[in-house]
Parts: sequence; C-alpha cells; structure tokens
Amino acid sequence: MNTPPLLDLRGIVVEAGGRTILDVPRLTLAAGHTSAVLGANGAGKTTLLRVAGALIRPDSGEVLLDGASATPAAIRRVSAAVLQRPLLRRASVRDNAETGLRFHRVPRAEARRRAGDWLERLGVAHLARRPAHTLSAGEAQRVSLARALALSPRLLLLDEPFSNLDAPTRGELLVDLGEALAATGAAALLVTHDRHEAAALADRMAILHTGELRQEGPTAEVWGHPADADCARILGYDTVLEPDVARRIAGNGARPLALRSEDCAAAPPGAAVNGSFLTIQAELRRVIPLGSTSRVIAELDGRRLLATAPAPAPDWLAALRPGDPIAVRLERDRARPVGFS
Amino acid sequence: MDVIWDALGDAFNLLFSGDAETFEIIALSLRISLTATVIAFALGLPLGMLLAFGRFRGRRLALATVHTGMGMPPVVVGLIVTVALWRSGPLGGLEMLYTPGAMIVAQAAIGTPLVAGISAAALQQVDPDFRVQMQALGASRLRSLWAVAVEARLPLLAAVMAGFGAAVSEVGAAMMVGGNIAGETRVLTTAAVLETSKGNLALAVALGLILLLLAFAVNMVLTLAQQRGRP
Repeated sequence: MNTPPLLDLRGIVVEAGGRTILDVPRLTLAAGHTSAVLGANGAGKTTLLRVAGALIRPDSGEVLLDGASATPAAIRRVSAAVLQRPLLRRASVRDNAETGLRFHRVPRAEARRRAGDWLERLGVAHLARRPAHTLSAGEAQRVSLARALALSPRLLLLDEPFSNLDAPTRGELLVDLGEALAATGAAALLVTHDRHEAAALADRMAILHTGELRQEGPTAEVWGHPADADCARILGYDTVLEPDVARRIAGNGARPLALRSEDCAAAPPGAAVNGSFLTIQAELRRVIPLGSTSRVIAELDGRRLLATAPAPAPDWLAALRPGDPIAVRLERDRARPVGFS
Repeated sequence: MDVIWDALGDAFNLLFSGDAETFEIIALSLRISLTATVIAFALGLPLGMLLAFGRFRGRRLALATVHTGMGMPPVVVGLIVTVALWRSGPLGGLEMLYTPGAMIVAQAAIGTPLVAGISAAALQQVDPDFRVQMQALGASRLRSLWAVAVEARLPLLAAVMAGFGAAVSEVGAAMMVGGNIAGETRVLTTAAVLETSKGNLALAVALGLILLLLAFAVNMVLTLAQQRGRP
C-alpha cells in the first residue's frame, strides 16, 4: 500500500471580494520532498501557502495531513512557515530564534540549544546577542529560517524567502537552505516567482496562474514541457510562437513553440541553415545592451521575438536599423512545444 | 514674582517639613490615580485589541466613539458618574458617592478610552503579517495577540502614561464625585483649586508643583521601563 502524502490539498477555493483568487483541485507533497509553486506576483501563491499552513481558512476544500483530515491546530503543530519578509520580534537574535520553540513549550535550556544549533548552521551564530532590528536583510532572513528550522518541522512552508535579498546573498542562502533541507529530511513547500530558485530546491514544480493550478509534475519535466503559453512565460520562455508560425518554421506539429531568449542568437539576415538549427527570419525592432550581452527585440508576423547578441554589438548588427531583416538561430530541440500531445 | 518665590518656599516646606496633611493628600492622589490607571489599562488594552483586530459590524463606529472618549471633558464624566452613583440613581445602592472609590471609577472612566484608543493605534502599527508569522511558528490565537502586544510595548507604555496623566491631572470629576472632603477625598488637584479660591495662591502653586513632581516621578519610572536596553 502506498504511503499517503504528508500534505494533500483537495478542492481548495479561496474567494476575496466576490472573486476567486485561488482554485487548486489537488496538490500533494510527499514527506521529505520539496515542491515549488511557481507563479507571477498576484497569482495566489501566498494564499496557497497560508492555506497549506492552516493560517487562513479556504472557502471550500480541505487540507489532509498523512491522508487524514486535519484540524488547523494539528497542521500548525507539524509545520513552520517563513514568510516573505523576515518578521522578527523586537528582541535579540537568540530570543527570536527560540520564539517558535517557546510557543511549543520547549524548556528554555533545550530551546536555547536547538536554536543556537541552527543559528550556527546558517552562519549567524555570531549575531546571537545582537538586537534583531540591527540585522541586514540577508542576516534577518537567515535568522527567520533558523527560527523555523529549529522547530524540526515535518513541513516547512517558504514564502519567497529570497525575494528581498541581493543576488550574491540569495545565491549563498539558496545553497545553505538546500543543504539544511537535505539534512533535516523535512518536506518543504516553496512558493516563488523565480524559476531558478524553484529548480534549485524542488523535485516537483507546480505552476499557478491567476489563482489556477495550471501544471504540476517533476521539475525537469515541467521545466521543458510548459502546459500552456502562460506556463511557458512563467518558466522563462519569453517568446511563444503561435502554431501557424511554429509550423512554418519548424515544419511539424500543430502546437505553439516556446523559446528562451538566451537560447536564441541573433544572426545576419539569411544566415546559412544548418540541420540541427532552426533559423527564423524576422524584422529588427531594437537592440538593448545589457552589459555582457545585448537583448535583441525582433518581430515576426506582428509578434515579439527575443534573442541574444554579444555586447558591444558586432559590426553587422550595429549597421542594422529598426525594420531591417534579421535572422534568429537556435538549436532545434531548444524550441519547446507547448501543451501536451 | 513674589507669589512664585513664596510658592517655591511653601512647596519646599510642605515636602520637607513632613506635614502630615500634605503627605496624606499626596498618598491619596497616588493611590487613586494609580489604581484608576491599572483599571484603565486592564479594560483599555483588551478593548484596544478588539478594536484593532476584531472583525465585527460597527467596528469603525466603536473606534470613533472611543476616539471621542479620549477627549471627553472630565466634568462630563464626573457628571455621569455622579448621576449613576446618586442616592436615587441606578448604582445609588453602592453608597459610593464622595468616596475615593467613586474617584477611582471616574478617573478610570477618563483613562480607559485613552488607553484603548492609543493601544488600538499601537497594535495596528505592528505589521499585520507579524501575527500570522507568530501563528505560523505555533502560537495560538491568544498567544499571538500577546506577542503583538509585547512587540508594541513602547507605544503601549505611552498609553499607560497618557492614562495616568489624565487621571492624576483632572480636577472636575474628582471634585464632583469626591467632594473634596479633607482627610477623605481631598487630592492634590482639588486641594489646589480650594486654596486658589481661598486666595492662598502660594500654597496652591506649591500643590501644583508637587503634582508636577509626582507626575514626573511616575512617568520617569515608566519611561525607564519603556526605554530599557536602549542607549
């Protein structure tokens, strides 16, 4: 017999102001695994996370724990959440790290030891005596994570834990969090708008768009097979070609094609066609320098097509004017069909 | 100018000559106003919490009513308490009128809206997600409310100071419900009014100075508690 999932959301609907802001027929999370819910701002990610943590009550649907209907108190007993902004108490770092344990009536000495342990593992033990409001955003988020992990939760709920951090801080914390999750064996539900964070931490990925669950599956599968044009955009495919255009270029299927601009190289118009490459003839609109590369905005049948070129722009590209023909080349298998066959 | 120098001299004498009557007045003032403050806080904080976090019809109306109460003239409060405690009034059976108890009731009634109004604002100042975060770490509803109150402790202590300040400084209600009976219900403010009306300006000013000193001492203690751990 299969073990029931740790967390099982069924028929969850949340309404606000007469509008459905969340509609998730089914979402499960197995014990010890990490799932990411990917979506744009306002897609309902935070609402979903709060339903999962029994922090808000859905208008309909239920949350099952280990296959059985669970009370909010039971869910909160086994879970801990890290909200988007690190909400620390006006107290020392150490007191903050112990907060959850004290709520769970863990004796002070043990709370101090467990919290201290996690401050150490997340590299902020040297800040233990500092008042929490003097921390940087990255330090505060580490304390917030330590506070949640110190509870040894079976279910860790993470709401965009990296969104307020600068790129280097984010990268380091991402690695540390990944290690922490592996070490504890806790299941984690991560909601984020950043597909790279999701891919780095999660073995399964779900895509939420305007409150609807559009796609769910193993990370690698979702990453390469967007279910629809919205999912494709959320997964970073910044160009989606309509079926008729896709058929003309790739010569197969009746499905849209999704492309990532980093896979698409701008080339001189009429560049040679190579068997393993697709070449798309388009019209140049703009070239935007982005430091080490340039973003090339082209147009094809009135639709935008994004490509990449070196920066500074090579001579042939610098000579082109908006409206001139340009070619865009990419490896054939980098153009991903959208939807399921 | 002479009045002020005389007053300073009188105040000094009253404080340091160990005048029994003066100390009785000071002690009664402190006892009545501190008790009233404790009651105002005990009632005002839960009321402030309800107004800050409650979801019920008429919340805004209730909040506006409390805000009006924050500026209620003590004379009006005194009048209401007097009518309520009047021998033939609804609470006349308690026989509380012209006792320190009646003054505590009146001063608590003056302080409660102040504490409630400032508390509601103080609690709403805390990030609404703070409470969610506390619950997400295992706090019960009540425990999470307490955590928010602890987080807002600085402005909440300001609410206590405002409550005490209003209680100890008011004179209208104390006069009406206490009656300014020597040795029973005479407090610093009512004594100062009496001495002024008798023309004893120096003594009145001396009582006023003592009142200020008293208010300063209590607020200093509260401020030290509030600013603990800050440079």
